[in-house]
Amino acid sequence: MIVGIDVGSRTAKAAYLEDGEYSFEVVGSAEWRSLLRGRRRAEAATGYFRKHVPAELRVTEITTAVHGARRLLGEEVEVIVDIGGQDTKVIDVRGNGFRMNDKCSAGTGAFLELIEFGVEVEELGELHRRASRAPEINSTCSVFAQSEVVSRLVEGYSVEEVVRGVHLAFARRIAQMVPEGAERVAAIGGAAKNRGVVEALEEVLGAEVLVPEEPQVVNAVGAVEYYLRRKGGC
Amino acid sequence: MQPQDGVTVAEHPEALELRAESVGERWHSGAAGVSVRRMERIGITALVPPEVVYACGCSALDLNNLVPESRLVPGDKLCAWSAVWRELVLRREVEIDGLVVVAGGDCYTSLVDAQRIELAGVRAHHFIYPFSGDRRFMREQVEALAEFLGEPEEGVMDEVAELKAMAMQVHRMRARGEVGSEQGFRIEVSASDLMGSPERYREALAALEEAEVSWEHRIALLGVPPIYSDFHALLQEMGMQVVFDEMPYEFIRHTGRSMAEVARSYAGYTFALHIRRRLEFLRKQLRRHRVEAAVHFHQYACHHRLEDPLLRGLCEELGIPYLSVEADLPGRTPEQVRLRLEAFAERLSEGWA
Repeated sequence: MIVGIDVGSRTAKAAYLEDGEYSFEVVGSAEWRSLLRGRRRAEAATGYFRKHVPAELRVTEITTAVHGARRLLGEEVEVIVDIGGQDTKVIDVRGNGFRMNDKCSAGTGAFLELIEFGVEVEELGELHRRASRAPEINSTCSVFAQSEVVSRLVEGYSVEEVVRGVHLAFARRIAQMVPEGAERVAAIGGAAKNRGVVEALEEVLGAEVLVPEEPQVVNAVGAVEYYLRRKGGC
Repeated sequence: MQPQDGVTVAEHPEALELRAESVGERWHSGAAGVSVRRMERIGITALVPPEVVYACGCSALDLNNLVPESRLVPGDKLCAWSAVWRELVLRREVEIDGLVVVAGGDCYTSLVDAQRIELAGVRAHHFIYPFSGDRRFMREQVEALAEFLGEPEEGVMDEVAELKAMAMQVHRMRARGEVGSEQGFRIEVSASDLMGSPERYREALAALEEAEVSWEHRIALLGVPPIYSDFHALLQEMGMQVVFDEMPYEFIRHTGRSMAEVARSYAGYTFALHIRRRLEFLRKQLRRHRVEAAVHFHQYACHHRLEDPLLRGLCEELGIPYLSVEADLPGRTPEQVRLRLEAFAERLSEGWA
């Protein structure tokens, strides 16, 4: 079995490759040790806290995102949007570059957590779809956006409409980092489970946004794929 | 500022330890009771010709060189560089007898921060670079600078020019991997003030040890020098040798053995000129130094940030991978920036496309 572990700011994820099949596990960041399942070390570690994980090799989550997205979505992925808990990375696979937003929570998972009414992520997509209009959310700061959300509700917008407005504001923020003309964009990370965010990104970018079945574990898969590549195993 | 009866005594204490006399107190008693003159210590910002400062009998202190090691958190700031040195001076953690601030060709934050120092009682001079590169204007500025500082002795300029030629030699050694990224950077960046005296700079050059540096990638560092004290060492650790440091290279390439030569050379200070001239210069240097990748270092709230797309465009044109790094307060390189650098090194080693 080959184990790839990704320890991020909110959650720790593991990908286990055995007999050519992947299985996954997701726990809170502080519980990352349980992902080793009694082994002394993983084959590969990635994520913000990768240096704490005993592993044969460590690699940044930017490189693993490329390998993971290609494994799960195909070689044709041009741009990867990795929406993490505390930062968002946009990786231009075609152009061999990347950009990060890590100074401010706007455009990261933390922005959505702050604003989205404590609703489960799966429900947010439904709310987004039900809204036929969306208010402008102009604040680029999560804290100010929070008060703007309250203002819109007071003005008479419904929760669904405000959720849609938040998703569009979020998508516009991320779109600033996406290279122009990208057609095959992949969204990964926990926030990509929110269909409302994905649809807002598609609307703002004017491009199809691909999301793997388990967007949260792409970097853990990428860690395994990177390991195999380095070891000449595939 | 010619020495009179006494002996000219140069003081060379460490920057933050010096507690100099206030402005105007140039004369005091030496150890033997004779009247001696201490060198006036002139704080400088950005690029002020040290040739002129030393020729006029003063000692130079590039205030920016104190910033990366400082842990002071200024309360009122845009760019951390100028805000930190402003506070260091205002709180008298570093003492200077005068200040020369670059008022054209640098930034408005340093101009305003320098004026706050000036209003607190430090005599100041504004040194202005011509946007057009006009040599006659530059000559007037160099002469005005000398007038502020004292009477220049041109022999001293020979010494500074010679030291800069030696620093250029170190630059070439670094590009060949005979000197580490970090040591080479220290020499180049310290050419702005010669570490407080030509003698001390000469000693630093002499103390430099040749080394066989192993690296994987030849890197250019564009923009302002990193405000993180461990940045070059970190790059080296990741297999990236900085073979071209844009701003420090300006510090060593401009010099002259006379006021006229100094003016002619410094008129070509690229940061002060139209961006087109700087891009042309960089295009040549990136090719000449056989640079494989470039990192653009810029500061939060700095107008140079707006040059990022232009520098990125230049690198794309040359087929050079490019990474943009924005910093704020001084200190060690934060984890988020380390992540960027590590990913950049991985991308250079393997490529994703």
